[in-house]
Amino acid sequence: MTFFLGGFFFLAKFRRVCTNPVAPCLRIEVMNTSPSTPEQPGPGRLEGGGQDPADLLARVARGDQAAFEAVYDQFAGPVYGLVRKVLRDPAQSEEVAQEVLLEVWRTASRFDPARGSAAAWMMTIAHRRAVDRVRSETASVAREQRLTPGPVTGDDVAELVETKLDRQRVRRCLGALTQLQAESVKLAYYGGYTYPQVAELIGVPLGTIKTRIRDGLIRLRDCMEVTW
Amino acid sequence: MSAQRHELHLLTGSYALDALTDDEQADFEKHLARCPSCAEEVKGLRETAARLAMATAVVPPPEIRIRVLAAVPRTRQLPPMTRNQRARAGGRTERRRLPLSRAGLTAGVLALAAAVAFLVVTQVSTSRQLQQAQASNRQIAGVLAAPDARIESLPVTAGGTITAVTSLRQAEAVVTTADLPSLPGTRVYQLWVMTASGAARSAGLLTITSTGSTTPVLANGVLPGDQFGITVEPAGGTQQPTTTPVVTMPVTA
Repeated sequence: MTFFLGGFFFLAKFRRVCTNPVAPCLRIEVMNTSPSTPEQPGPGRLEGGGQDPADLLARVARGDQAAFEAVYDQFAGPVYGLVRKVLRDPAQSEEVAQEVLLEVWRTASRFDPARGSAAAWMMTIAHRRAVDRVRSETASVAREQRLTPGPVTGDDVAELVETKLDRQRVRRCLGALTQLQAESVKLAYYGGYTYPQVAELIGVPLGTIKTRIRDGLIRLRDCMEVTW
Repeated sequence: MSAQRHELHLLTGSYALDALTDDEQADFEKHLARCPSCAEEVKGLRETAARLAMATAVVPPPEIRIRVLAAVPRTRQLPPMTRNQRARAGGRTERRRLPLSRAGLTAGVLALAAAVAFLVVTQVSTSRQLQQAQASNRQIAGVLAAPDARIESLPVTAGGTITAVTSLRQAEAVVTTADLPSLPGTRVYQLWVMTASGAARSAGLLTITSTGSTTPVLANGVLPGDQFGITVEPAGGTQQPTTTPVVTMPVTA
């Protein structure tokens, strides 16, 4: 409790430095220095360090912009990374990631911790937005865009150091699946394909893909020791 | 029946990965509301998918942070669901549909949507501008596709019309004009959201295109009782209106 209060005041102190929304702003990293409060792995903690995102989202819902910045700093990397993985195009990814992050601000009151973790809530929004973009037949402007030269930003993206362990674990657990399970899960999630499209791509019956995706995910869940 | 239910249960994985077709997704969500074990499984699989997502994290471009944090103070938040609403929703997950395929879009709004897309595209000359245009186009499409979107036009005394599509639920509106009198290069039309108490907030500049319309402008924080106003201002616009509006239009209730 003391730790959380301490963290809050620590944050409050630095808010003043950060009043200009446009100027580059001091990153706030609340470090857990107290040895008596061990880091709790488990629900809501899957993001690693920083404050509990579920608490932060509750504050965001009440209009707390500082809390939103803290959420932003924890999740902008995964949001952009996921959207980029699905869409590939850096310009579109930037745009969709922005929409997602603003939607987190706008709809924070709809986050219900009883129904899942903050990370899952945000990643669901991000993934849904990305696949909506992929599947949208009406996005004539997006079709147009494919004909224009790519954006000026470079193609290299740096992986976040903070999520190195997540990456290693995911890689290890994906490696423990059968090839068909791993490929189906990756095409569906990272590729943004529907399962009938995945079936077509791999050349196996629909029913097989349905079960492979589910079996694969269940094995991933158990391998990564997801506790929900 | 039980075979069919079993079939549906197999879709938990695909559902958690957003890999169902739209029709199946609707069916499956109905099923979810009646199948607690499916809902429980979906929950765990969504958490699993989130791990797959976290592993993709990269350093995001710093411009996103600047743009998002700048937009936050200007963006109204959704109110929470009250206990009653939650009970009525039956605990079902809220899902987004493709904005432009949403039913209930009036023909007028559709026509405006097409006009908007056209205008925005014709305004563009560089890929950077295209990117920005797409971002605003997307937001504009969001307003046009809102289930509560209302369209309203009003003639302007000096000539031309002002048209607004307003979603009070999103507290946003898209405003365009047609055939306003042309202005010298040193003057621009500026759009304001004016509250009943007389306070005015700029929603942006209305740039006249070669077709005589102005580029659609998205206005945030639009509430019942507000009105839109257009004034003539020095090039570049001003912080507060310096002239009497050429037209004002109440926000549709």
